[in-house]
Amino acid sequence: MSRAMCMTWRHSSRLFSCCPLPFTSPLLLAPSHFHYIISDIIVSHHHSHLLSSFTQNPSSQSSIMESSPPHHQQNESNGTHNISKKSKPMLISESDLRFEFSHHDPSIARINNGSFGSCPASVTAAQHHWQLLFLRQPDHFYFNRLQPAILRSRTLIKDLVNADHVDEISLVDNATTAAAIVLQQIAWAFTEGRFQRGDAVVMLHYAYGAVKKSIHAYVCRAGGQVIEVPLPFPVNSNEEIVDEFRRALMRGKANSGRVRLAVIDHITSMPSVLIPVKELVKICREEGVDQVFVDAAHGIGCTDVDMKEIGADFYTSNLHKWFFCPPSVAFLYCRKTPETCPELHHPVVSHEYGNGLAIESGWIGTRDYSAQLVVSDAIEFTNRFEGGIEGIKKRNHDGVVEMGKMLASAWGTNLGTPQEMCASLIMVGLPVSLGISSDSDAMKLRKHLRENFGVEVPIYYRHPKDGEVNPITGYARISYQVYNTIDDYYKFRDAVNQLVSDGFTCALFPK
Amino acid sequence: MDSDRGENGDSSHNHVSKKPKLSAFISEEEIRQEFSHHQRGIARINNGSFGSCPASIIAAQKKWQLRFLQQPDDFYFNHLRKGLLESRTVVKGLINADSVDEVSLIDNATTAAAIVLQQIGRAFAQGKFQKGDVVVMLHCAFQSVKKSIQAYVTGAGGSVIEVQLPFPLTSKEEIVSEFRKGLEKGKSDGRHVRLAIIDHITSMPCVVVPVEELVKICRQEGVDQVFVDAAHAIGSVPVDVKEIGADFYVSNLHKWFFCPPSVAFLYCRKSPLSSEVHHPVVSHEFGNGLAIESSWIGTRDYSSQLVVPSVLEFVSRFEGGIEGIMMRNHEIVVKMGEMLAKSWGTNLGAPPEMCASMIMVGLPSRLFISSEEDAMRLRSYLRQHHGIEVPLHYQAPSDVEGGPKDKDGLVTGYARISHQVYNSFDDYCKFRDAINQLVEQRRSCKMLFME
Repeated sequence: MSRAMCMTWRHSSRLFSCCPLPFTSPLLLAPSHFHYIISDIIVSHHHSHLLSSFTQNPSSQSSIMESSPPHHQQNESNGTHNISKKSKPMLISESDLRFEFSHHDPSIARINNGSFGSCPASVTAAQHHWQLLFLRQPDHFYFNRLQPAILRSRTLIKDLVNADHVDEISLVDNATTAAAIVLQQIAWAFTEGRFQRGDAVVMLHYAYGAVKKSIHAYVCRAGGQVIEVPLPFPVNSNEEIVDEFRRALMRGKANSGRVRLAVIDHITSMPSVLIPVKELVKICREEGVDQVFVDAAHGIGCTDVDMKEIGADFYTSNLHKWFFCPPSVAFLYCRKTPETCPELHHPVVSHEYGNGLAIESGWIGTRDYSAQLVVSDAIEFTNRFEGGIEGIKKRNHDGVVEMGKMLASAWGTNLGTPQEMCASLIMVGLPVSLGISSDSDAMKLRKHLRENFGVEVPIYYRHPKDGEVNPITGYARISYQVYNTIDDYYKFRDAVNQLVSDGFTCALFPK
Repeated sequence: MDSDRGENGDSSHNHVSKKPKLSAFISEEEIRQEFSHHQRGIARINNGSFGSCPASIIAAQKKWQLRFLQQPDDFYFNHLRKGLLESRTVVKGLINADSVDEVSLIDNATTAAAIVLQQIGRAFAQGKFQKGDVVVMLHCAFQSVKKSIQAYVTGAGGSVIEVQLPFPLTSKEEIVSEFRKGLEKGKSDGRHVRLAIIDHITSMPCVVVPVEELVKICRQEGVDQVFVDAAHAIGSVPVDVKEIGADFYVSNLHKWFFCPPSVAFLYCRKSPLSSEVHHPVVSHEFGNGLAIESSWIGTRDYSSQLVVPSVLEFVSRFEGGIEGIMMRNHEIVVKMGEMLAKSWGTNLGAPPEMCASMIMVGLPSRLFISSEEDAMRLRSYLRQHHGIEVPLHYQAPSDVEGGPKDKDGLVTGYARISHQVYNSFDDYCKFRDAINQLVEQRRSCKMLFME
């Protein structure tokens, strides 16, 4: 790798997606990265062929005569041709990658993939194809197309997450909906007397706000008690989490005897930490916890998601966050057990009530199901990257760790977790001089960064412990996804440096 | 305000319906273009099931979707709530609600039923209602609503009384008297009728129910809560929620009000009940009232809820606006119904004044429709071999009188035809001819698909 080439790369911000930090991290200049340079030179005809299939006139594909055999339906319905079976697709080129995310606001350093995810143009095009199919002839779509397409998505997910049976995979809007489904069932158990008043539900203190409210709405209202597991932050090792978790289970069992449900985040939202779920699930089994629900909103496409390895009863993850699906679609996995499995239902009851959650979720009244139908297109998209989704995950992780260290070093702060306790998100301490002293400050600073510096990044306020000297009270949760470039992080670095050198503090925000 | 409208991507910047319209109304050709995405060659006379959405509204929706994809955080923090409030305000005006707080936007009527019935279920669970207290509904209530009652009411200890809807019928008095009988039954043995679920326009068979009158009767008879399931109503019949006087009223905007799939409004009259209803998907806004809870139920595509103001613009391009559309849809569907009934020698299922933009037309007895499966088979056959999309209903002959007859026997099948702005006379001729052809060829339902 000649220095001259490195110079060229440094100024090509897009190439960062292939090769981060040519100067500071020789480790990352692995030979495999040459692939991207080569394919940039060789125009990817294959990709343009795929794109054109999304713009085909749908009327050429379906006709009044309905007797399309199944294989025709398959070609039509996923909007692509099964090229991957015939020849390995070329890796995505720089310019194609740029095109796929060209709808992103170019003035924004978009380092908050965690909140709302992102969706490449080719998957959006596939979605539009499905939406149009419905609008053209909705009855035909409802009677003949929708359910096979949903089944196909569920089957692909089952394979992705190593579930035993496609019955175990339901598609819902998002993890918030999945939480409502699991918790509704807990509420009924209390109402019907199968659980006793005072039985406990354990959750992490850093559980997502909406899930906490759901737990309070469904559990407390029905007579259960809630135990929160405090987690240290910054955190230094898995053992710290495991210890706190064990202690909380003890508390639950001491008060009432039974812990009926443990809700465990796979990757907490704010602050973001990768939790040792497999270990915690094991402890739950040892301690006789009835049900374990893993809220992995950030899981799929971000960290390893293997249902049998993790061993939870319920597991949910959003596909629109890190798996390139449009808003919104998530899967809820419900382990089929030999013992009585609690009966889950979708809260919006429709024709399929009683036919199992997966089938119930496949029809909850007239609505747009198209986001659930493009899983195959999202998988195809990931396969255009070296190593597929595994390669993407690894590079995202390496990239976000590098960027986190770069920022912490530039600001003289620290990371909130060791690098093995994060996936494609990392918490980076913000300079103390910014004076972040409340949740409100964090929100205002975030808005300030968006409006005045063109940086989109969520900020977390960490309440300092007694006795801490000059504590870091603000952490930025940066993300790394295939569309990011080093410039995004430089922009953030420079914005914060400027705020510091301007003597800015959050106290300056109007009340 | 104008700049906000501009940001919406709407092509015009004002509530056009408030300004006098100087330009010509939408032309035939423009209507064709607006619905050019409808599959050619299909006589689409089932607007009732899934509705329809013009191209300019789809375009407006795509603009909102793109906004989210471009910068979702900005969209979430700065545009979403405002957009939803605008839509809710439009709906409030359309239905004559007192306050925008009473108007929530949700996916569809099915979701509304879950919301109302979950509240009923909780009241049973908490002992506010006694086991055996009654929920009254029409026997032809939409199947998903029936299942929702099963899940949330029967499961919690409530009992259910179904009111038979006479069909075919000749006057609304028939419905009123059956309803009174149902309420009587509900109050027998000292029970309370806690909820009455009344369709404004039933689905199958399809008739316009005299809801105002039935709600009045409910109040007289001490029914706790009244929920009107008006899935088909808005854009189909005038809707005045204060006149109707129900506690809860839901209607889908994607059926007859040109919105994309899917969006409905649930009106909840301000009362102590208001704080008891919740969206089942609990998120950050839990406890802030149903309207606010519904405005954020996790990350999803809210774009179909955001185009309601654009629809006002669309309907203002028609003479008489939405009222003109409703009136013409009604007149034409009645005319088409009568044309078909005359051609086939059958009858209409209800008098014109009990129809809106859909009407039930008797099918020739010679088709021998003797079950729901027969009706479904014939429907699929019409779709596949004639390019006609129309839902069919099997009406079992009544024990006492049998039912209406044509020259060959009992009429046991009815087609629910619809008329919307995109329909043409040819659609109904096609249907007329297909049925006549089947009869001429002496083919009954059971013979279809067997050759």
